[in-house]
Amino acid sequence: MKAVGASVPRYDGVAHVTAASRFIDDVRLPGMLWAKALRSPVASARIARLSTAAAETMPGVHAVITHADVPKNVVGHQEVWGIAADEPLLAQDEVRYIGQVIAVVAAETEAQALAAVQAIEVAFEPRPAFLDVRKAWDPDQPQVAPDGNVYFYYADQPQRQVRKGDVAGAFARADVIVEGSYRPAAIEQAPAEPASAISVVEPNGRVTIYSTSQALYYSMEITSRHLCLPTGQIKFVGGTVGGGFGGKLDTVTEPVTAVLAIKARRPVKWRWTREEEMLCSSTRASWHIEIADAVTRDGWILGRRTLTLHDAGAYMRTSAYACSKHTFHLAGAYSIPACAFNTFVVKTNHVPSAAMRGFGVTSASFAVETHMNRVADVLGMDPWELRLKNANRVADTSPSRVAYANPSTVTTLLGAARAAGVELPAELAAMTNARRHGALLPAHLVGQVSEPHPHLLAWRDGRPALEGGN
Amino acid sequence: MKFVVNGRPRTTAAGPLTTLLYVLREELGLVGAKAGCQHGSCGSCTVLVNGEPRRSCLTLIGTLDGAVITTVEALGEPSHLSDVQVAFNEHYAAQCGFCTPGMVMAATALIERKGGPVDRHEVVEALGGHYCRCTGYAKILDAVVAASRGERLGHMAPTTLEVRGVEP
Repeated sequence: MKAVGASVPRYDGVAHVTAASRFIDDVRLPGMLWAKALRSPVASARIARLSTAAAETMPGVHAVITHADVPKNVVGHQEVWGIAADEPLLAQDEVRYIGQVIAVVAAETEAQALAAVQAIEVAFEPRPAFLDVRKAWDPDQPQVAPDGNVYFYYADQPQRQVRKGDVAGAFARADVIVEGSYRPAAIEQAPAEPASAISVVEPNGRVTIYSTSQALYYSMEITSRHLCLPTGQIKFVGGTVGGGFGGKLDTVTEPVTAVLAIKARRPVKWRWTREEEMLCSSTRASWHIEIADAVTRDGWILGRRTLTLHDAGAYMRTSAYACSKHTFHLAGAYSIPACAFNTFVVKTNHVPSAAMRGFGVTSASFAVETHMNRVADVLGMDPWELRLKNANRVADTSPSRVAYANPSTVTTLLGAARAAGVELPAELAAMTNARRHGALLPAHLVGQVSEPHPHLLAWRDGRPALEGGN
Repeated sequence: MKFVVNGRPRTTAAGPLTTLLYVLREELGLVGAKAGCQHGSCGSCTVLVNGEPRRSCLTLIGTLDGAVITTVEALGEPSHLSDVQVAFNEHYAAQCGFCTPGMVMAATALIERKGGPVDRHEVVEALGGHYCRCTGYAKILDAVVAASRGERLGHMAPTTLEVRGVEP
């Protein structure tokens, strides 16, 4: 434990301050070509015509690729988790969002590649776009995908759901029902370094890909699906990632440059402009979240119902995963014995949403904590008291029925109060995370106090896990 | 077009509307200045032109005849870091490292211009146009103030450093 509490040198500190750290855009290979893409200018359209013939004869152009050049065009970002492939690397017959890649040119210079992109003949038949998740079930709305706007987790169940306790009973017994809607907006990860990749076909046929991916093996797996090459035939070389924040899980530049390099027989580099990074890369999703709490006048939350509509954008990417995490966190850091949570993944004609810091949980936390303030307002109660009273304690169970061994809600709240200079009443300031008893164990919570699983209490070698403490 | 880059006379045949960033990175192979936005918003391409910090992505080569240009590559080496580089390293002011070269150059120019200690307000003014998405701004402010005072903590002196991860 020599490192804990010590100021130790960063392994890349000197490299960073001298600019010796190598980012992918800093890599130059002999004979390297530059890529530029034709992207959709509209949110939804049928591609009526696409011809690259003129572009292919432009000065400096070595290759132009469309969907027909990709060995396996339609792939999913989470096929390994059973989410069906739904996203074309290059658009075929239709475009579903502004910025979707349709064709890509590799040329001697970026300027030549850009000129050739402008020579690609493309005609769109625009369609109405579907942009408001709240209208997901409106039969008059445009359908984003052939199988509808709502993703089905199971054949007979579209939503990710959590059910716990007697929800109807909780709402029947409530003194007050407090409702609220929360709509966190989409956010671009906006890394300082735009996405970039270089692919080169080695003499032995293996493909080496220099990638800004924040998850090299994840991106390699997706790339191998597009190329129909085993991962053993692909080598991923990472750089110093110039900020990822979730956005550099998305794997587009790697397979595109690989297909171009194979066709052009030259190394190909594609670096996105800031505009492409901001407009065409995935975002954190926007969400529509409704919460209804069944509460008593003295500040107990008896039950909670939620409805979440997650804006997945045009393709699934990692939305199913984000919504699972979201749903499991909708009780927040509080003990709620009766829960009915429903979360729907809704496809729209926005740019696909994907990972960003906290991935599905930040939206739940925003909605839950804002709603706690609303409940306190309605009850005329100090929000600190409402939170501390309902805070998770040892042996309380989560909505997914995990009994907490060492929850940190009380500790965190008291620490926050101290840091904010809030003077709490003595009985609140004296709270701990210890198992509920007395006034903190009202009848409705008795049944949800359980025995924490032993492995949550100790390390494998038998040492006790860290104490919660205060 | 003739100018001096890091003490060496250089020429370029690039057209007058070519950006300095392009000439540095693509012609001279000096990739320390980064292309973060290429329209003057992020500051990661900052270099010194006649001692003044400039966004090289907006600086056209046609305006640079006879100019003296300094990039991060001329500032220091691993075994011989500048005060600003030492401070950025000691105060953990670099996270992903992409904005760091621009920050370091702007800080170097500020301290040079001031000729003595700077306060946090002056650093905010001078580096306000530099974007750090890792949001490590507090440590960057610490580093620049410390560098301007010539402070060295010495807890990661280059001689004791194991420099790794530089080569592929």
